[in-house]
Amino acid sequence: MAEQTVSRRKKIAFFWLRLVCFALLTALLLSYAVYVFTPKSDYGICSMMNLYRQPDDSIDVLAVGTSLAYAGINTNVLWEEYGIAAYDLCSAEQPFWVSYYTLREVLKTQRPKVILLDAKPAIYTRDYSKRGRTILSTFGIRGIENRIGAILACVEKSRDALGYILGLPEVHSNYSKLTANDFVFPPDNGSRGASWKGYIESDQVEHHQKPSLVFNTVRRNMNDREEEYARKIFELAQAEGIPVLLLGLPNPDYANDHMYYNALWAVAEEYGVHGINYNDPGIRFGLRYSSDFADWQHLNVKGSVTFSRKLGEDLKMLFDLPDRRGDAKYISYDECARQWFDQYPLFESSAWEEHPLNWFAGEEEMP
Amino acid sequence: MSILSLEFLAFAVGAVLLYYCLPLKIRWVVLLAGSAAYMALAGWQSIAHISAVALVMWGGGLALQRKKSRLLLALLLIPDLGAMIFLKYWPALSGAAMILPLGLSYFTFQSAGYLIDVYRGKMQAQKNPLKAWLFIGYFPQLAQGPISTWKELGSQLLTGHRFEPENTVSGFTLLLWGYFKKLVIADRLAKTTDALINGSGLPGWFVLGGVILYTIRLYLDFSGGMDVVRGLSRMLGIELPENFRRPFFARSVSEYWRRWHITLGAWFRSYLLYPLTTCRAGIGLGKFASGAFGKKTGRTFPSALATLVVFLLIGVWHTANWNAVVYGAYFGLVMGVSMLLEPLWKTMRTTLNLPREGWMAPLRLIRTWGLILLAQYFAFTLNPEMGFSLLRSTFQAWDFSGFAVRTAAVMEPLEWIIAGIGCLFVLIVDILCEKKTDVCGRLAKAHFYIRWPALLFLILAIVSFGIYGSGYDGAAFLYTQF
Repeated sequence: MAEQTVSRRKKIAFFWLRLVCFALLTALLLSYAVYVFTPKSDYGICSMMNLYRQPDDSIDVLAVGTSLAYAGINTNVLWEEYGIAAYDLCSAEQPFWVSYYTLREVLKTQRPKVILLDAKPAIYTRDYSKRGRTILSTFGIRGIENRIGAILACVEKSRDALGYILGLPEVHSNYSKLTANDFVFPPDNGSRGASWKGYIESDQVEHHQKPSLVFNTVRRNMNDREEEYARKIFELAQAEGIPVLLLGLPNPDYANDHMYYNALWAVAEEYGVHGINYNDPGIRFGLRYSSDFADWQHLNVKGSVTFSRKLGEDLKMLFDLPDRRGDAKYISYDECARQWFDQYPLFESSAWEEHPLNWFAGEEEMP
Repeated sequence: MSILSLEFLAFAVGAVLLYYCLPLKIRWVVLLAGSAAYMALAGWQSIAHISAVALVMWGGGLALQRKKSRLLLALLLIPDLGAMIFLKYWPALSGAAMILPLGLSYFTFQSAGYLIDVYRGKMQAQKNPLKAWLFIGYFPQLAQGPISTWKELGSQLLTGHRFEPENTVSGFTLLLWGYFKKLVIADRLAKTTDALINGSGLPGWFVLGGVILYTIRLYLDFSGGMDVVRGLSRMLGIELPENFRRPFFARSVSEYWRRWHITLGAWFRSYLLYPLTTCRAGIGLGKFASGAFGKKTGRTFPSALATLVVFLLIGVWHTANWNAVVYGAYFGLVMGVSMLLEPLWKTMRTTLNLPREGWMAPLRLIRTWGLILLAQYFAFTLNPEMGFSLLRSTFQAWDFSGFAVRTAAVMEPLEWIIAGIGCLFVLIVDILCEKKTDVCGRLAKAHFYIRWPALLFLILAIVSFGIYGSGYDGAAFLYTQF
């Protein structure tokens, strides 16, 4: 009888041990399945995953924000011409609440000398991120507390968050779109290579006119939640002792944004944060609305080169940023820039100076 | 809380863990508390209704045990069944909106069966009202049955079960298999039914194919749900009665009904069919028929008529519309006529020396399939006209020229492949089960290097190809509404 009891106890203990192993194996397999099914596109997932590949404390300028930022801030130009180690950690329509949790995650391993915060979310009127892709952008965050925090901040009802937290309910339907690359870990960053720094180029050219507006100081109230999280970002940066620079990225649709930006600037001032609005007609750097935009919002390759030159110049002037060129720790920046300029040789600084498309050198500015 | 939801899974895991953590004697209390919580989540109407039914059942059972009175039984059954009839059919007849208590038919039938069994002296009435409540409110069976008798379920619920690893693994496998059938195949095939209902000018092959796929979908949907609840129960050490036994291997319509929704058929057989055939009127009708049509027919006639009535009721139990009447009447007629003509078939078989098995078996299978498919035209259509119209279309325009376009319009080729492979798996497992192989049980006893890949494969198939979450509109279980 006693033998039987011992044998049964052993059997049950062995069962629980195997169950734990099985549960771990299942969890591992399901995590990989989430990774495979997650679209590795420009939603911001890759730039976050790729961030973990960067050596600790290697990023000097960290840009967070929307697609305007990842299409406009050309990290290759900043590196090639100023030696600035910048990284674009942006995603399409990224609200401030996602930027906030993203920043919290980044600050675990990086200590940037300046954070560039895209001002665009100031215009977003929605309280929550109903669009799947905005929430999907959080899938790259490894830190469970920040990932759950970001997801919970995105959804209106916390029960809606469960699918995103688990991952598969939201992404498993992508099985018909899978390619061989989806199974490779870490991701190939949309064929941009392992040294990619988050800049996503847009090759199209769409003709626009410079927005006609009268600059004023009228403020239109930001969405309460956007303001709440903008404040959280400023407070976080303040606590960490990292300066923030607000960026108004060039945008043909800017006339709509103007008064929201004023409100954000006012909030920022409370924290001693300053910004540069590159839509200000007073700031001239050779951008052409007729040729430098890919669509109604985003800079194209040529526009990003022009803008990033100006941004680099301003960053150098405002902050004490080291020139990292030649530093062995930053070899990946060299590789990334080399690869990009090989693809776009026209924009190499030497070639660009003399190129007829270089309006910066000419007289005509921002028509 | 749908049994497809993550909440249900979490609830079920919690219930199983808690069940085995507590002493054997009070394990039934976990089931009671879990069932009450499950019912409460469905709304106060559900818990109030089931509690009222349980109270009537408990008190009525004790009263019937003391005094065996037909009048008392009738007085107890009238409010029990009457409430179900009112709640199910009044909204359909009046157009009024009403909230149906969860599992209404299932717990009503179960409580009615309990009262009749006590009246018949087949069982002792339960003295503890909470235990009586648990018998009809046991949460896994509320979604879509099965309809159990006290003999099948009562003592299992109240006896604390020791933790048995094999039961847990076997139950978990069955649960996964149920989700696979429902989420990967049945819900994927839902689009084919939509194409039939919304389509016009459909070629015959498309209609026939659609009806066959609907039949398969219905089976996988319902039996998948049953596997989930039976699997969960097995994990708790409770074996719920089987509701499906590979119905498409049936070689006659009567065999089909012994394999399809078994517990519903058994309930109607025990509590309606037998009383109808053995009551005074039934016996009198038999005598009358013997005089009019001969002894053999006379003996069968009351049973055939009772069968017709039972199937009409089964049809109407499904839904309060004319389709249900046609569906029930059709099966009742097929069964009744085949019962009456049985002597003739027997003579034919003997005269022509036809075997029952061998080469006749596939022919009988095809005949049964044909008869079942005919009924399915009225199972998913919105009215009898639509059913008859689709039936006519089946025999028209057998033109396969637009095959690729039409099938691709229903589902992407990859979806067809997934559904096809899923059906193939089900067929293989069903063939094994038909050959008396307990697939889940054997897997539970198999070495881990066989069991783990099989379980992981099922889990991955469900989470990857299941119709759930974002981008899909998963369908509720077809039998939940009853």
